Amino acid sequence: MKILLVEDDELLGDGVRSGLMLAGFAVDWVRSGDLALRALADIPYDACVLDLGLPGKDGLAVLRELRRRSNPVPVLVLTARDTREDKVAGLDNGADDYLTKPFELEELLARLRALIRRACGLVSPVIEHAGLALDPVTRQVSRCGEPVALSGREYALLLDFMTHPRHIRTRSQLEESLYAWGEEVGSNTVEVYIHHLRKKLGQDVIRTLRGRGYQLGDSAP
Amino acid sequence: MTWLGKGERRGSLRWRLLAAVCIAVLLIWLLTGALSYHMARHEAEELLDGSLAQTGHLLLALLEGSDDEFAGLGGRLASVRAADNIYEPPLEFQVDQGDGAVIARSLDAPELPILGVLGYSDIIRHDESWRVLNLASEDGRFRVQVSQPSGLRDRAALEVAGQTVLPLMFIVPLLFLFIYLSIRRGLLPLDRLASEVAARTPDNLAPLSGREVPTEARPLVNSINRLFARVSRTLDHERRFTADAAHELRTPLAALKVQSQVALRSTDAPMREKALRQIAGGVDRAARLLEQLLRLARLDPVQQLDNPGPVDLAAVIHEALAAARAACAEADRPIAAPLPRGKAMVQGDAELLGMALRNLLDNALRYSAPGDAIRIGLDARDGEIAVAVRDSGPGVSAEVLDKLGERFFRAPGARAEGSGLGLAIVKRIAELHGARLVLGNHPDGGFVARIEGLKGQLIAPG
Repeated sequence: MKILLVEDDELLGDGVRSGLMLAGFAVDWVRSGDLALRALADIPYDACVLDLGLPGKDGLAVLRELRRRSNPVPVLVLTARDTREDKVAGLDNGADDYLTKPFELEELLARLRALIRRACGLVSPVIEHAGLALDPVTRQVSRCGEPVALSGREYALLLDFMTHPRHIRTRSQLEESLYAWGEEVGSNTVEVYIHHLRKKLGQDVIRTLRGRGYQLGDSAP
Repeated sequence: MTWLGKGERRGSLRWRLLAAVCIAVLLIWLLTGALSYHMARHEAEELLDGSLAQTGHLLLALLEGSDDEFAGLGGRLASVRAADNIYEPPLEFQVDQGDGAVIARSLDAPELPILGVLGYSDIIRHDESWRVLNLASEDGRFRVQVSQPSGLRDRAALEVAGQTVLPLMFIVPLLFLFIYLSIRRGLLPLDRLASEVAARTPDNLAPLSGREVPTEARPLVNSINRLFARVSRTLDHERRFTADAAHELRTPLAALKVQSQVALRSTDAPMREKALRQIAGGVDRAARLLEQLLRLARLDPVQQLDNPGPVDLAAVIHEALAAARAACAEADRPIAAPLPRGKAMVQGDAELLGMALRNLLDNALRYSAPGDAIRIGLDARDGEIAVAVRDSGPGVSAEVLDKLGERFFRAPGARAEGSGLGLAIVKRIAELHGARLVLGNHPDGGFVARIEGLKGQLIAPG
């Protein structure tokens, strides 16, 4: 799951990025509206956390521009302004949710999970597929009711597959989802994590489509 | 029209107009009555005096040459009765033979001595007032006295005056109604204006249209519209201030909160340590912000300096320079201070002036790149001293320049940490010294902040 964080304040941006990373998100952090629009045009983020009080092109302008380009990415707006007019303006300009500073990290994470769930068309908070169950809140994975312990990256990779069932995910898509900018990506890391997932959850949990990419297996183990 | 209390009625234009018009109409009415009474009375007097004279002369003519049958004539004359109105006025008479002996008289004639003065006279006899005419024949053999009760004239005059005034009795209420309705109609645009004003809220301060407003009220509408414009500008300013302040105050809090939660959640020691360091830095930043807020809060209510004294501005600049150089390596940001020799004595508060200079230097250091030169200049002219701090950064756009110095305003894109209060503090200090803070871009590049108009002069060393 990859999030774009748009925040000009160093301290807050650093904190939110660390918090999101702790929760298993890959986070790209930009500090201005123009950079945010460029990043959103290039990379299919799962969600965007946008501060409205940006210098230069402010958050509302970014939102309007984003929606004008018909970019459907779920946007959670962070703002210091808490009047009704401000909230209405934020939502009416294309925000999907709204948090007023200061906020609880827990709430930010829960709202992001809900936004992503809705964007994937999922109803239940626990994602289930072919005997596998993944709970994004507790980050627990079970297979046929048996809990399975996964590392952070393994979990993130499985989450990507389970929120995109039936999609064929290319290696570069998976890398983008797993890693933020500037993180070292090994030449065969995705293969390594897929290998780990198959070992822990069964060989057919992920299918390899030669030359095209990977897909979530659809038969129960 | 709604029913108004007594006090409100006194203040109501409508009531005042109505009352004034009513009183005027009533006065005119009364005056018309009095005038027509007066004129009718005069006319009746002339008319009835004429009839008296005619009757008197007629009597005299009858008496001439009728010496032998006085008794018969007297009796016949006395039998003439008249009605009691102006068209057939009653007539009383007495006739004598010039010696005071009455030879004929009408029944109700007042018993007056017939030997009175010739001509008209008004006489009161037995509580009754009479108009009397005494005439004598040319040869003096007969004297005639004709008389009429004066009351008749008054009645006649009243009647005429009444006929003039009474129809007005019916017209006046109609007139009042008409006046009332037209005042009401005339003031209707004011009612509409009032409801238009009442509909305005702080969110909707659009100018009033004032199209149907009477000319007399147009200056009021224009003034209200100007007021709306001013209030609207103030509100915009307040809103921006609130938004900027909320952002500047809440963002550090949000950052501290998130960082502390990261520290609590993280099991990774270096990550936790980093979060804790960030928190410490964030608290410092919040403390600085609070400090500046408090400074402004202390300066705000002050109308004038407590005890301004002579301050050597050059010395203040040197102190501020020393502090700046201590905070930032000389090689990193060379600061040039080509100050004139001698003392620059100004009237003011050394501590506040020092704070202003430190803030300006701090800004220059913060918003310029390493290696950029900073320059402090001081010049004196016409009993005024100016001090300027110039950096060699890119300067600021005209749009930003306009808002710099507003509280919590920070130039868009400013990466350096800051509260947006520094220049506001300097501005306030300058104001307290009767000086101004002038911000601008130097023609040779760089941003210049200049405190102008400090009262004082250079004193050459010696």
